[in-house]
Amino acid sequence: MSAVLTVLMLLVGAYLVAVLEGWVSTGRLRPAGPITSGLALLGRESVVPRQPDRIFFEVAPPLLLVAALLAAAVLPLSPGLVVVDLATGALFVNAALAYVMVALVMAGWGPDGTYAMVGGFRFLGQLIAYSMLIVMPITAVAMRAESLFTTEVVESQAVLPNAVYQPVGFVIFFLAAMGVAFLPPLDLPTAPGELAGGVMAEYTGWRLAVMRLARAVLVVTLAAAISVFYLGGWLGPVLPPWAWSALKTLLVAAAMLLAGRYVPRLRETHVLEWGWKIGIPLALFNIFYVGVLLLVVE
Amino acid sequence: MITLIVALVVGAILFGIGLYGALSQTNLVMIMMGVEVILGGAMVNLVAFWRFLHPEVYSGQMFVLIVMTVMALEMAVGFGVATGRFRAKGSVEMEEAQDLKG
Amino acid sequence: MVQAVFTGFFGLAAIWFAVVVFRTSSMVRSALALLFSQAAIGGMFLAMQTEFLGVLQIMMMATEMAIMAIFMVMYMMDPGGLGGMDMTHQKRASQVAGALGALAALAVAFFAGWGPIAPEVRPAEQVYGLGIEIMERSMLIFETAGVTILTAMIAATAIAIKRRGKE
Repeated sequence: MSAVLTVLMLLVGAYLVAVLEGWVSTGRLRPAGPITSGLALLGRESVVPRQPDRIFFEVAPPLLLVAALLAAAVLPLSPGLVVVDLATGALFVNAALAYVMVALVMAGWGPDGTYAMVGGFRFLGQLIAYSMLIVMPITAVAMRAESLFTTEVVESQAVLPNAVYQPVGFVIFFLAAMGVAFLPPLDLPTAPGELAGGVMAEYTGWRLAVMRLARAVLVVTLAAAISVFYLGGWLGPVLPPWAWSALKTLLVAAAMLLAGRYVPRLRETHVLEWGWKIGIPLALFNIFYVGVLLLVVE
Repeated sequence: MITLIVALVVGAILFGIGLYGALSQTNLVMIMMGVEVILGGAMVNLVAFWRFLHPEVYSGQMFVLIVMTVMALEMAVGFGVATGRFRAKGSVEMEEAQDLKG
Repeated sequence: MVQAVFTGFFGLAAIWFAVVVFRTSSMVRSALALLFSQAAIGGMFLAMQTEFLGVLQIMMMATEMAIMAIFMVMYMMDPGGLGGMDMTHQKRASQVAGALGALAALAVAFFAGWGPIAPEVRPAEQVYGLGIEIMERSMLIFETAGVTILTAMIAATAIAIKRRGKE
């Protein structure tokens, strides 16, 4: 029951994200845009390039979708509405998101195309820049909740959401989440204009439709993760819990998409350098700071 | 009981495959993959021992954590050696590494 | 019984992918097959109710083996496996050694007396129990592991770095 509801919410969220993305990038609001372009993609031929690594080529788009869905499965939408409440939920989110990178490497290697391969290996090369910055802020969140249950993480924010309690971690996690979802200005593996679509360049037809859907679901999942870990998830006055979850998730997704409209794409060397030299020390400082707060203040 | 045996059999077969790989491959990176498979088999055995024989003592899980660390270290140092070797000779084939003999 | 079936299923997957590692000639396939083999081992951990280690294994191996893929493409002569090169030596001896090792381990598995089997364990207690273990009894070991990681990082960088003044 909760699995069906979660998938339904994710699909609605993915649709809204697709509409928003179209609005942000073209300036025109077309509510039917995702449906028409999706149907158009399904109608087109799905070309298989010459000499592909066939297994990787076929597996990569579904793997991206599965990774995003698995990460969403441990995030609670309301107190009872969580697919599996794992004892290691916060760690499981990391584990599922690591397979986003695997899927992109497969998508980059599979079609035997230069742009695709550059995109895939670039995302792998950026690993330190975003992966560590996903893991380390979550550590600080789990420290405050004294648990890895995602539901208990939400309940620990009843008085004060983590975005206020540990603002450094919130900012780092937000930026790293944009990196994992390869949203502009961190859309290095796809990089339209520079890599001509990168990992998505060789995909056409229904395979591209699956990949775009997976990307939209990934954005929703990461927005939901930010809302659960930093904005207090379902907590809030007046409205029912699920409405708060949905509202926060959508607002975060909109903020992530809007940020890309006003910032040019960063160079990959800069992303790696800043992630490694600024991001990781800041994340370590965040863990230390939260530890001091927990021991001294409370 | 049966799950313990199943896990131990899987661990033993993984050990055999890893041993074959580590001995038969000519490339340094592939040899490291063989070692990883061996360590994977060892981890399966350790977890099975922890779960079915002594779940009250957490040293078993600790042991698995240390094995995971060893895997990561083996990769890091191995790739360091491979990079150095590639810089010096342009290849990481072990058949061509006779010049390392003192 | 269900537990045995799931453990066996993930075990078969792990073995199959481990065989693929040494049978395919494409290097990226080989690295990713190893990734899925290790992820299947993580699945076995989960089937054996060792939740924390299972999730940790699945997470760590994803990054580790993907990094392996990039190094293999960098350093191998034929990363795509299109040339059909033979990359093995001393095949017969290795097969014998592998089979003997597996048989020895199997013999121990079947003939040793394992004693009584422990009852159920609960995942929520494991995270707590492992944390207490790390911070109390095994703290020194854990610290040693941390220092070892630091040493290995420095050593690996020192080996791999380009010599100054040469060429």
